[in-house]
Amino acid sequence: MNALVTDVKLRSLGPYPLHQADSEECFYGNRLIYTSWENHLMYAAPFCLPLPPTLPFGALVRVVLPEIYGEHPEFEQIDWERTQWFNSNQRFRPDFGKSLEHHGLTHKSLIRFRTPALEGIKRSTGPGRQAF
Amino acid sequence: MDARVIKKKLGLKDRYTAMTRGLHWDTTYQPMEEVFPYDSYEGIKIHDWDKWEDPFRLTMDAYWKYQGEKDRKLYAVIDAFAQNNGQLGISDARYVNALKLFIQGVTPLEYYAHRGYAHVGRQFTGAGARVASQLQAIDELRHYQTETHAISHYNKYFNGMHNTSHWNENIWYLSVPKSFFEDAYTGGPFEFLTAISFSFEYLLTNLLFVPFMSGAAHNGDISTVTFGFSAQSDESRHMTLGIECIKFMLEQDPDNVPIVQRWMDKWFWRGYRLLTLVAMMQDYMLPKRVMSWKEAWEMYAESNGGALFKDLARYGIREPKGWKDACAGKDHISHQAWATFYQYGHAAAFHTWLPEQSEMNWLSEKYPDTFDRYYKGRFDHWAEVQKSDGRWFNQTLPMLCQVCQVPMMFTEATDPTQIDFHETTYHGMKHHFCSVHCKGIFEDEPKKYVQAWIPVHQIYQGSCYPDDINPASPGDSPVREVLRYYGVNPGEDNGDFSTSPDRSNFAKWRGDKRKAGESS
Repeated sequence: MNALVTDVKLRSLGPYPLHQADSEECFYGNRLIYTSWENHLMYAAPFCLPLPPTLPFGALVRVVLPEIYGEHPEFEQIDWERTQWFNSNQRFRPDFGKSLEHHGLTHKSLIRFRTPALEGIKRSTGPGRQAF
Repeated sequence: MDARVIKKKLGLKDRYTAMTRGLHWDTTYQPMEEVFPYDSYEGIKIHDWDKWEDPFRLTMDAYWKYQGEKDRKLYAVIDAFAQNNGQLGISDARYVNALKLFIQGVTPLEYYAHRGYAHVGRQFTGAGARVASQLQAIDELRHYQTETHAISHYNKYFNGMHNTSHWNENIWYLSVPKSFFEDAYTGGPFEFLTAISFSFEYLLTNLLFVPFMSGAAHNGDISTVTFGFSAQSDESRHMTLGIECIKFMLEQDPDNVPIVQRWMDKWFWRGYRLLTLVAMMQDYMLPKRVMSWKEAWEMYAESNGGALFKDLARYGIREPKGWKDACAGKDHISHQAWATFYQYGHAAAFHTWLPEQSEMNWLSEKYPDTFDRYYKGRFDHWAEVQKSDGRWFNQTLPMLCQVCQVPMMFTEATDPTQIDFHETTYHGMKHHFCSVHCKGIFEDEPKKYVQAWIPVHQIYQGSCYPDDINPASPGDSPVREVLRYYGVNPGEDNGDFSTSPDRSNFAKWRGDKRKAGESS
C-alpha cells in the first residue's frame, strides 16, 4: 500500500527543493492523529486532532473520544472491550496503559474503530441502512 | 505618374493578422528558447506555431468597443437595482448565502485566472496563443470587478461579505477553490490552459455558471443575472480557446497525447471536486430551485461531455479516469456537502439551515435512490436535536484530503455508508486522500502537494490565531480565536439562518410577521 513514491512526472525550470508543510515539529510537541468511528456518519468526516505521542491509549478512549463523539446517541452504549481498532487498515489490540507512540501511531496516522453492535442509527422507514 | 492607391482601412482579418502575427518577431540577440523557456519544459512538442487556429479573431479596438457597451448596460442595471431596493425583491434572505459563497469562493478565482492568463500571455512562443491569453486576462479582471460591484450592493444589507479576500486566503472551505487555482497556475502554460481553458471553461463551466445565474433568475436577483449575461459572451470565447488549445497540442506531436491525457485526468477530477460546493448550493441553498445537481450533471456533463470525448477519440484521447466515479457521485455529493456545512456552520462565513419539509420532499423526489435511504435520517435527527437541545454544531476539526482539501466526507462508490480512505507515504510522512483519483494526482507530483496549505493543519500549527494568542495553548475555545483571526463575527456571519440578523432584518424590511424558522 505504501510503495515508494517518486517525482518522475514533476517538471520544473529550476531546482525544486522538498518542503513538507506539515512536519511533526510544527505542532508544538503534538502529532496529528485522525480518528474515524466507522458507520457513524452523523460526523461528516473523520476528525483531525493534535495529540501528544505520550498520551496513554486509555486517555484517548476515556477523555478524548467522549469529547468529540459524545453527542452521538449510541456513544454511551459502546462496549470498549469489543471495539475493533485499526491503524488505517491494520487491526491492532490496544493496551490502554501504553502510549500512542507504543502502538505505532506515528504522525498523521489514522485510527479507525468499529463498534460491532452499533452500526449507526437505523430507521425502519427506508429499505436500507440509515447509517449516521 | 501613377498615384499610389492607399487602402484606407484594413479588413477585420487583416487587422487581426497585423495585430498578432505582425507584431511578433523572432529574437536574434538572445535565443528564442531562452526568451520563451516556459512552453517547452512541460514536454509538449510544438513544431509549427502557425498551425494555431485563432479561436476568435478579436482585435483590441473591437474588444474595447464591445466590452464598453456591455459594461454600460450592466452598470445601468446594477444602478437601477440599487435605486429600487432590489434586495427586497429576492425570494428569501436564505438566497443571499448563495451569493456569499460566490463572492467568497468564485469571484477570487476570476482574479487568479487573470493572473494565470497574463502569465501565459507572455510565455507562449506563438503570437496567436499569446494574444488570445492576453484578451482573456483582461476578461477575467473585468469579471472580478463586475462581480464585486454587482454583489457589493448586498454587502450593505447582509452579513458575510465584508472580508472576502482575507477569507479566501484562510478559511477551510475556501481553500478548495484557492488551492485548485494555485495548482493550475503553478503548472506550465500548456497545463494551465488544459486545466482552466479546457477542463474548467470548456467541460465544466456550465455546471458552475448556469446553477448560479439561473438560481439568481429564479430567486429575483436581476443584478446577478445581468452580470451573468455580460460574462456569457466572454465565456464562449474562453471555451473556444480551450478546445483549440487541446486540438493544437494533440495535432502537433503524438508524444503530446499521453501528457495531455494525464492533465485531462487530473483537471477533470480537480474541477469535479471543486464543483461539490456548487452541487450543494444548487440542492440546498436556493429557496426556489432550478433543477437538481443530478439533473444538471446529466444534462451538462454526461451528454455534452460524452459527445466531446467521442470526438477526441480520433486523437487517441479517452474519457478522464474519474469520469465514471463522478457520474456515480451525482446522487450523493450535494447531500454529503450540506451535512458537512450544517455541522460546521459555526466555522463558515455564511448561514446554514435544515431543509424545510417541502424541500425534503423535493430532495426525496429528485434523489429517489439515495436521499431517503442514506441522508434524510441525519437531517431528521438534527431537527429533533435542534428542538430538544438546541442547534448542534460539530466542535472538532475535520480531516481534509491532501489534494482537493475537501473534508474527507466522500463515501465509497459501492457503499455510501463507508468513508472512502486512501493514503500513501512520501519521504516518511503519511498523506491521506478522499479518492483514488486525488491520490493518483499526488503520486504523480508528490513534491508539489506536500507543500499544500491544509487549513486544519495550519490552525494546529498556529497560523490562524490573532497575535495575542499563544498557539501552543490557545485556550478553551480555539475555534473562537480562529474566527476572530478570520474576522468572522459568530452568529452574525455564520450559525443557523433561523437565528441570524439576516433573517430578522429581511423580515422587518418586508413587513413579514412570520416567526424565526418559518418559511417564506
